[in-house]
Amino acid sequence: MAGTELAPAEIQVLQDLTILVFAPFVSGAIAHLEARLQGRRGPRILQPYYDLAKLFRKETLVPEDASWVFLAGPVVAFACYLTVPLLIPVLTAYPLPLGYIGDILGGAFILALAGFAVALAAVETGGPYAQLGSSRAMTFAALVEPSILFITFTVALVTTTDLPYFEAAQVRSSFGQAIYPAHLLATVAFFLVVLSDTGRIPVETHASTLEFGMIDEARTLEHSGPPFALLKWGSAMKQLILYVILINVFAAPWGLAGSRQLGPVLLAIPIFIGKALCVGAIFAVIDNSFSKLRLFKITEFMAAAFLLAVLAVLVLYLGGR
Amino acid sequence: MAAVGASPSTLTDAAEVVALLVLLSEFAMLRSSLSRSQVRLYAFQSLCVSVLAAFVAATRHIGALYVLMSLSFVLKVIVVPTIILRLVREVRVDVTASHRLGVASMVLLAIVLSVFGVFVFGRLPIHSRSLPILALALAAAVILVAFLLVIVRNDVVSQAVGFFSLENGVSLASLVLAAGLPLIVEVAFLFDLLVAVVVFGVLMRVHHGRARTLSTRALDRLQG
Repeated sequence: MAGTELAPAEIQVLQDLTILVFAPFVSGAIAHLEARLQGRRGPRILQPYYDLAKLFRKETLVPEDASWVFLAGPVVAFACYLTVPLLIPVLTAYPLPLGYIGDILGGAFILALAGFAVALAAVETGGPYAQLGSSRAMTFAALVEPSILFITFTVALVTTTDLPYFEAAQVRSSFGQAIYPAHLLATVAFFLVVLSDTGRIPVETHASTLEFGMIDEARTLEHSGPPFALLKWGSAMKQLILYVILINVFAAPWGLAGSRQLGPVLLAIPIFIGKALCVGAIFAVIDNSFSKLRLFKITEFMAAAFLLAVLAVLVLYLGGR
Repeated sequence: MAAVGASPSTLTDAAEVVALLVLLSEFAMLRSSLSRSQVRLYAFQSLCVSVLAAFVAATRHIGALYVLMSLSFVLKVIVVPTIILRLVREVRVDVTASHRLGVASMVLLAIVLSVFGVFVFGRLPIHSRSLPILALALAAAVILVAFLLVIVRNDVVSQAVGFFSLENGVSLASLVLAAGLPLIVEVAFLFDLLVAVVVFGVLMRVHHGRARTLSTRALDRLQG
């Protein structure tokens, strides 16, 4: 059994399935841990799956004036989230054939397209909170963009390409590379970007019910039934995709499958989920130890991420490595 | 992988990370709104500089640097922050929030300044045996950002902390350029710092006694 070789296409499908199947699990585990840290019993770890199952059985309600965009938005976003795992190293250390069709910027573009589709669907409803949420989400996404650009520059200067697989290989190549200042700075900057993109505490209160503080969450207020399920599932997948990039490209690209054998590839799944849970635990601790920034102070947070990313490029410029 | 921490390039990398921490704490001082946390950040920054001094002393076998390092550790990490913290506590002014600009634009301005400093000093044809040239460039950035801190924040504590951290930037630069500087010159530096502490202590007390605030905005007002 362990001797069987998988075709690259099969591994690629497996990468997608890993993200698809385990994203709600990771979200549920983080929510559970967060509740535990606050002294509550918290929801079951598998609760997101029950939520999704329930939502898929419900009927879809569409606001009177909304057009087909309202229903297409969630589907397009979901398709985008299924595309990104083809480009990034989820399970394997070596590049898969489709890994070359898009670099880090390509992945960022697809994620941005998903955000755009959701925002468009939200604006289509005419609901004030949904519109407020999408306007805020687009504004802050634009503010995060410079940091992502400079992180990409760092990767490009280190590897002379901007394919995520090569950055991961570079980090794996030696311990010195992993603690190289530019790499550390870029990793921390990306960590801050993930923090803001997944709607975590210094930027947004996760799972809050107060509309005025909402950014990402407010966009989905008008959706119901299966499209809402797709949106929830999609946002869990987006979170796990960002974790993949943080872990398997920057922070800890170890434990990935080095061959096409069935055994190592399957083994890479639990290792990755374990690493994702560790990162999720860090996020849960941050959620519990900081307070949310006021909306107009979020730019300060983005400025910090930008500072780290710029310093990373500067260090590379002088370090000449 | 076997010789983790032993190879010279890894050590240099670690030294670069510490030098980066010096600059990052300068940025944190610039943006933090509590006087208390500014002073603590200054203590942390001084600790980083002391660690770098110890690193240079160990790699280049300069005994005098150990003396200097322990002196600056005791003074800059323990004595000066304690004195300033006590003064801040006495005047019971906690939140200063004395930014003349928004925090984000201040940080962007500081980024521009440090990019300028890093590029100018990184271009200098200097080869140091003690620390990588990056540390000198970062020291230049620290000095420029410290100037910005003194300029854009208008309260006495920020200006004192900005001045002290300026001294940290200068000692970082001297570690790169002239690690074997005679002990007596460096001790004179530290003595200067102590004089500055006394001056700023007096300034804080007198200013607070007259204006009931630590903000220097009160200095613009006409007295009649």
